[in-house]
Amino acid sequence: MWIPLRVLAARVRGFLRPGDQEHEFDQELATHLAMAEEDKIRQGMTAQEARRQARVELGGLTQLREASRAARGLPWLGTLGLDVKLGFRMLRKSWGLTLIGGLAMSVAIGIGAVVFAFFDIGYSGTLPLDEGDRVVALQTWDERAHDGQPNSLLDFEHWRDAMRSVEDVGAVRTIERNLIVGDGLANPVPIAEITASGFDLARVAPFLGRPLTEEDEQPAAPPVAVIGYDVWQSRFAADPAILGRTIRFGATVHTVVGVMPQGFAFPVNHRFWIPLQTKPPNRLENERAFDLVFARLVPGATMESAQAELMALGLVPRETASDDEQLHPRVMPYAFAVFDDEPGQFRWMSRLVLFLVSLLLVPPCANIAILIHARTVTRQEEFAARFVLGASRSRIVVQIFVEVLVLAAVAAVVALGFVRLAIRQLKRDNPDVPFWIDFSLSFETVLFTAGLAVLAAMIAGAVPALRATGREMQSGLSSLGSGTGLRLGATWTALVVAQVAFSAAALPSAVEMAWGTVRTSVLGPGFASEEYLTARIAMDQEASVGAVADGTVAESMAADGEQLPIGSRFGNLQLELVRQLEAEPGVSSVTVAAAVPGDEPWATVEVEGDPIQDASIFAGNSMVQFNQIDDAYLDVFDVPLLLGRRFDARDHESERATIIVSRTFAELLIGDGNPLGHRVRYGWRDSDVAEALAASPSDPSASEAEASPSAVTPSATSPAEEVEAHTWYEIVGVVADLPANATHGKIYHPMVPGRVQSASLALRTGPTPDNLVDPLREIATKLDPTLILEDILPLNEIYRDHAVGNNMGATVLGLVTLCVLLLSGAGLYALMSFTVNQRRREIGIRSALGAPPQRLLAETFRRALGQVLAGALVGILVAFLVGHYFPIRFIGGWNVPGVVPAAAVFMILVGLLATAEPARRGLRVDPIEELRQG
Amino acid sequence: MQETRSPILQGTLDLMVLKTLEQMGPLHGYGIARRIEQVGQNALIVNQGTIYLCLVRLVQKQWITAEWGKSDNNRKAKFYSLTPAGEAQLAAETENWERISDVIGRVLQPATGS
Repeated sequence: MWIPLRVLAARVRGFLRPGDQEHEFDQELATHLAMAEEDKIRQGMTAQEARRQARVELGGLTQLREASRAARGLPWLGTLGLDVKLGFRMLRKSWGLTLIGGLAMSVAIGIGAVVFAFFDIGYSGTLPLDEGDRVVALQTWDERAHDGQPNSLLDFEHWRDAMRSVEDVGAVRTIERNLIVGDGLANPVPIAEITASGFDLARVAPFLGRPLTEEDEQPAAPPVAVIGYDVWQSRFAADPAILGRTIRFGATVHTVVGVMPQGFAFPVNHRFWIPLQTKPPNRLENERAFDLVFARLVPGATMESAQAELMALGLVPRETASDDEQLHPRVMPYAFAVFDDEPGQFRWMSRLVLFLVSLLLVPPCANIAILIHARTVTRQEEFAARFVLGASRSRIVVQIFVEVLVLAAVAAVVALGFVRLAIRQLKRDNPDVPFWIDFSLSFETVLFTAGLAVLAAMIAGAVPALRATGREMQSGLSSLGSGTGLRLGATWTALVVAQVAFSAAALPSAVEMAWGTVRTSVLGPGFASEEYLTARIAMDQEASVGAVADGTVAESMAADGEQLPIGSRFGNLQLELVRQLEAEPGVSSVTVAAAVPGDEPWATVEVEGDPIQDASIFAGNSMVQFNQIDDAYLDVFDVPLLLGRRFDARDHESERATIIVSRTFAELLIGDGNPLGHRVRYGWRDSDVAEALAASPSDPSASEAEASPSAVTPSATSPAEEVEAHTWYEIVGVVADLPANATHGKIYHPMVPGRVQSASLALRTGPTPDNLVDPLREIATKLDPTLILEDILPLNEIYRDHAVGNNMGATVLGLVTLCVLLLSGAGLYALMSFTVNQRRREIGIRSALGAPPQRLLAETFRRALGQVLAGALVGILVAFLVGHYFPIRFIGGWNVPGVVPAAAVFMILVGLLATAEPARRGLRVDPIEELRQG
Repeated sequence: MQETRSPILQGTLDLMVLKTLEQMGPLHGYGIARRIEQVGQNALIVNQGTIYLCLVRLVQKQWITAEWGKSDNNRKAKFYSLTPAGEAQLAAETENWERISDVIGRVLQPATGS
């Protein structure tokens, strides 16, 4: 063992059992003295003389014991303990600094720790399976898009048969089907269509029955299913005779052959498994249909050797492939492949993000450093005295550092509380995460938080500590007892001015941003959202079954052999569903749109001729939401038409590209002129765009999207080319905002039933939308078991969910703003206190000579108040410049009338409040006392 | 008499203790102190107490080990003995010492240096 380590180990032992070793040491010294005495008596000394001489030669017993104790134990730990105790005492004593500094540090450390915890949770990469670290994914990687692509059947079969470095090669795709148990209602569930090898790979035995086998994959095999433990418990009441019972997924009836044990959710978060039929007639040879191809490295193989083998095999060339040259196969750790990540990129990214997050510590800690500096300045005499009594400089530096570290540690504990809350919220928001994700506060997160605390203590404590013990210590020494110590330098004053200026400039932005975030939840949607029931409707992709719109069950149509394109089937179903729902008691009207109001996808747009010149990307005006609506939509939501016309049959013709826009759209992007006839086209659009706009008759990207809905690669063309390719849409009508109080414009396209593959249904029901949930499910199940109905929720609940997220954002923003304000106030307080302390004698003398105290104070405070005013003015100027040159919406505060001057006045008030206590102290200066001290 | 005695050079006490244990075999603290004084012919100022601090250090480094035993006159005493690591350390330090003293000797007496 390395010698310092041996010594440390021995010292730790000595520290843990000090009694034994001290006793032995005493015994040893006693033996020494006895032996020495005997020797000396033998040499002719008297017993008394021998004892005295022996003691002299050995040296002072107390010092020896002290020195041996120091040599055997961990003496610095004792000193550290004292420093920590002192640190806690300082927390109590300077409670203002503790509260303000602690809060600011908690928020900064908390933000960093939450980001780390989320990374840590999101990328916990090892599967909790037997040898889970050897499970890999064989992926088709798009080099250009840096994205994983679904794998093709041919590739899967080729790799499975040819590769030697992996075993248990399997494939899976997740499908969504309506689950129907007995005569119950349909309930859409995700199902893993998986090869039997998935169960071999997982090495988990079923709880009941058997897993899927290769025989189940044969085309003629009867349909079977394996279910999860939770499903068995909840849907089948833990029926012991579950094996052999039937379960219906959409139109197909499966026999349950196995129940997997609790917690099993391979490949991602699945509870239902059915065989993946890879043989004819269901072969999908050229289609890239599999979400994942997985395998296990054979003993002795490595990721690199498997990668080399896979590269050598390559992808099977396809007849219709145009993008093959940018596709390469690669072997990836399983969890990374599920997230389509590159481990290297992630490592780099996470480091960058964590670095940036750590930088968040700097502003609050620099502020706290100022306050700590002010405190150490007032303790200058204490340090000077300790210095004189023999404490080294490093000793005092460590002491100050430990005091700040105690504060940071308390802040870190509070921050970990934030992290726990955030993790709990994350878990609540994501019930269906991959099975290997562990929502617990990991050791790494705690370690990272501790690291942030040490970093915070270093920033906030190191500079004040070094300055307090530096050259200026001597001046502290010379002025011992005189009541005046160090000066707070000009830098410090400048920092306070800058702080006030920053606060005055940032406060309006914060107010505006917070308002922008919460305004919809505060003002409400402006219509009776609680009277609407909404649901997502979609078709499952079960290709083998036809469907009808006349209410007969799907299997009969399948028997007829008639195959309708899925789009028109969906269109027919949609119309029929609306017809039947309208006839339902309690439903006053029904509409179908691509999205519910307020939940539409986002895009940027450009208006032809650009009537508003400053509608730049900075302004954010060009950010709009877009939707596709049926002809009933505006009536169902009581949206009045303000100008032009509604959609009618003309707009369904394929050569027309017409839109209706909202009032806010017209105001922000067109201005005072008549919006009708203006033409608009899209720039960047949300990734949902392909689906949401698939129905737009003449949009060229729509047909492409419909052809291959899973292969939307935005990077295939440059953004500029995309903009050029987009259609110009003509505005034919202007309607009121929905929801009211909208901050962004909105575009409505006409919806042609059957051109979209999923849509949102909204039923106007009156005050009790919940009563319609079951009738809605019943009608849909009867109409077609493959019609998937999801997210059946009253509209106001969707808004409530939005509000929760918004309010959380506003809370964090509010906390940060509060910290900035408190730190500014505390900085001013420290400055004022210091000024008063420095001038106590002067105030005393002048007051003894008859000057009225108020005038003295006014003079003392003129400088400080001047700084506050200067700071506030600079703040307004900065806010003005920001508002003028970077007209970003929701930033700058100019959109909220009066908030900028209000913020400046507020900062002046904070300044005055912060000076109140020092002012009171200044007025109480007793001239006689001050003169006597001088 | 006092003026002719020199303080021990810093860092050399460890070397002397190790050497003593090598020559004498297992020995208690008093024996080590006496031995160093005798060999040094009382020319070195040895604060006997510091020998015990030195022994603590050497035990921590595992260059020597300690064991309770009986002295010649049947007194309970702690006996120290050299470990293999201590022997190696002694060899290295001896060589180092000889090199340094040689260099210093040559510096101080250049005429007899060659």
